[in-house]
Amino acid sequence: MNDAADMIADAKRHGRAALDESAGKRLLATFGISVPKSVVVADARGATEALKQLHPPYVVKLISPDILHKSDAGGVKVNLKESSEVVNAIAEMAAAPHIKSARIDGYLIEEMAPPGQEIVIGAVRDPDFGPLVMVGLGGIFVEILADVAFRICPITRLDAEEMLAELKGGAILDGARGKRPVSRAAIVDSLIKIAGEDGLLMRHGDDFSEADINPLIVSEAGAVAVDARFILS
Amino acid sequence: MTNADIAAGYAPLFMPQTVAVVGASTKGAALPNHFIRRIREYGYAGDIYPIHPSAAEIDGLRAYPNLGATPKPIDYAYIAVSAAQIPPMLSAAAGRVRFAQVISSGFAEVDEGKDLQANLLSAARAGGMRLLGPNCLGIYTPRGRITFTEISPPEVGPVGVVSQSGGLGTDIIRRGLNRGVKFSGLVTVGNCADLTPSDMLEFYLADAQTKVIGFYIETAKDARRLFEMLRDAKARKPVVLLKGGRTRQGVAAAASHTGSLAGDDRAWIALSRQTGCVLVDTLDEFIDTLLVFQTLTPQPLHPTRRVVLFGNGGGTSVLATDCFARLGLDVTPFNQPALDALAVLRLPPGTSITNPVDCPVSTLQQDDGRVAEKILDEIYAKGKPEALVMHLNMSAFVGRTKPEILDNLVQAALRVQTHYPGQAHFVLVLRSDGEPRLEARKREFRDRAVALGIPVYDEMSNAGRALAALQAHERFLHTRG
Repeated sequence: MNDAADMIADAKRHGRAALDESAGKRLLATFGISVPKSVVVADARGATEALKQLHPPYVVKLISPDILHKSDAGGVKVNLKESSEVVNAIAEMAAAPHIKSARIDGYLIEEMAPPGQEIVIGAVRDPDFGPLVMVGLGGIFVEILADVAFRICPITRLDAEEMLAELKGGAILDGARGKRPVSRAAIVDSLIKIAGEDGLLMRHGDDFSEADINPLIVSEAGAVAVDARFILS
Repeated sequence: MTNADIAAGYAPLFMPQTVAVVGASTKGAALPNHFIRRIREYGYAGDIYPIHPSAAEIDGLRAYPNLGATPKPIDYAYIAVSAAQIPPMLSAAAGRVRFAQVISSGFAEVDEGKDLQANLLSAARAGGMRLLGPNCLGIYTPRGRITFTEISPPEVGPVGVVSQSGGLGTDIIRRGLNRGVKFSGLVTVGNCADLTPSDMLEFYLADAQTKVIGFYIETAKDARRLFEMLRDAKARKPVVLLKGGRTRQGVAAAASHTGSLAGDDRAWIALSRQTGCVLVDTLDEFIDTLLVFQTLTPQPLHPTRRVVLFGNGGGTSVLATDCFARLGLDVTPFNQPALDALAVLRLPPGTSITNPVDCPVSTLQQDDGRVAEKILDEIYAKGKPEALVMHLNMSAFVGRTKPEILDNLVQAALRVQTHYPGQAHFVLVLRSDGEPRLEARKREFRDRAVALGIPVYDEMSNAGRALAALQAHERFLHTRG
């Protein structure tokens, strides 16, 4: 886990408030969470060559310590099928009004995750209890309805299963309104990798005040962390 | 450490042989004078050493100038003098005091007292003692005949309580007394400079006398230790938690969804789900829940779900069915075999034999309660409830029945209980209307029922919540035991 410790130390040394998305995903990957295959490029010129390692469709995301909500700022482009679209997307981002004046660390190009149910896994450091883990269904379920379940770390598989059972909208996972059911086991696995006895939060929980994996896209077969934010303490 | 070691370590606190009292006045009017009077009245038979800088005698007891000058070492020192005087007194104790409880305030509960509390803690360490408080009221330990309240029930019971508030601790003892709760101890811990709720939890878990544990907590400094201790205990003794300050905004400036969603409350709800302790919202619910665990034996193999309501009052039954259903308890009508068996009894008109079973007083008193016994027997045999709630609207009995009818009904229910051991929890609800004579009769009857090990509640909703708490505990043991 030295990689993880180094990454965190490096971000702190540079006075960063958070891990950038690419580092956050590498941290997740260290703990066995699937993340999209990706490359980081400095600018549009490097994109075409880099894309040879990836399969379309692609997603491009801005990496900048100055921009907290990158989709609002125009820093996310999805469903790009050709390398020319990727090159154009990077060029457009670089010229966008909010981005032009910001520090830019590069652009993250990823394979776009196949569709599925969006889940949020979060963490917050409680001053009394230490790290807490949270799970909720994505979108309005978390943001509007606050339909989430919390536990104190570390959690067991039974705790994780009970967290999902606690969600009012949990039936959606079993397939609702014509959708196919998704893998509860994949969500439980992800929760254990984050918040179990040997999970990320038990090793590095003191380094982070808050974290969001939003969304974790879950299908019948598995789960992929599509965005990740780790706020340093 | 074994349980016996842990319990032995706290024996000087819960069963002191020598008690020092600091702050008693020669005029006999200060709080420590009341403490001396109360423990003598309560039957404390060990040595009492008033500590006073100059007096030779206080309240008829020989006084000593400091904690180091007493004939024997001190198991428990009750200290109520002005805050600044205390640290030097403790550091001079030279290992002769086991537990000191500092009643005085003026410490970390106010900003200017924070340093003084740090001094108090170092003084206690230097003096070689464990410290309770400061800013608390004392300890109530019936096995040691020590108490801090004016009314102190004499029985030693199974319920061990820790309260961060002294005043609420008094309420818990007094209301508990009137509802049948019997204590193995109640400790007020105040600011928790040294000993904390989790230290007391460690004792109560180890203490053979304690079967049920209750906490009133406002701020838990060592919350993490409390969580781990509760988790590792796997609810082997039921723990009821009344947490004050649960609506406080958790993280003021949150930078993520998770942060803004994580109020202070979330952690305590999580704690209850992960450790099986029961979180309650009010003092009354706290006492009701302690009572259910004191009297009933949890059944982890078949967690309580199916409840039969039996008593007089149709509207009460309907409202109670709604209330129980909301709490996750099942009051559905009987199956056909049970209905057939009850129909054979040819009960008088006005008796409803589905679940809830609504029996007018005329049915209940028939044959001195023997008809009720037959009904209950069929219910247990065919209806297979996991809990039976008998509710009696006492005002409906007034002027129409012999006084012994209530006893007859409860005895009938207890006989049926013994025929079906371990099948169903039996809970009694005695409904009254505040009329003084009725209240007196209810009180007397409640005492008799509680003495028989029956939990008694004032209303159906209280009984419902208590049973829901029992269900939660049983389910936790069922999934994790």
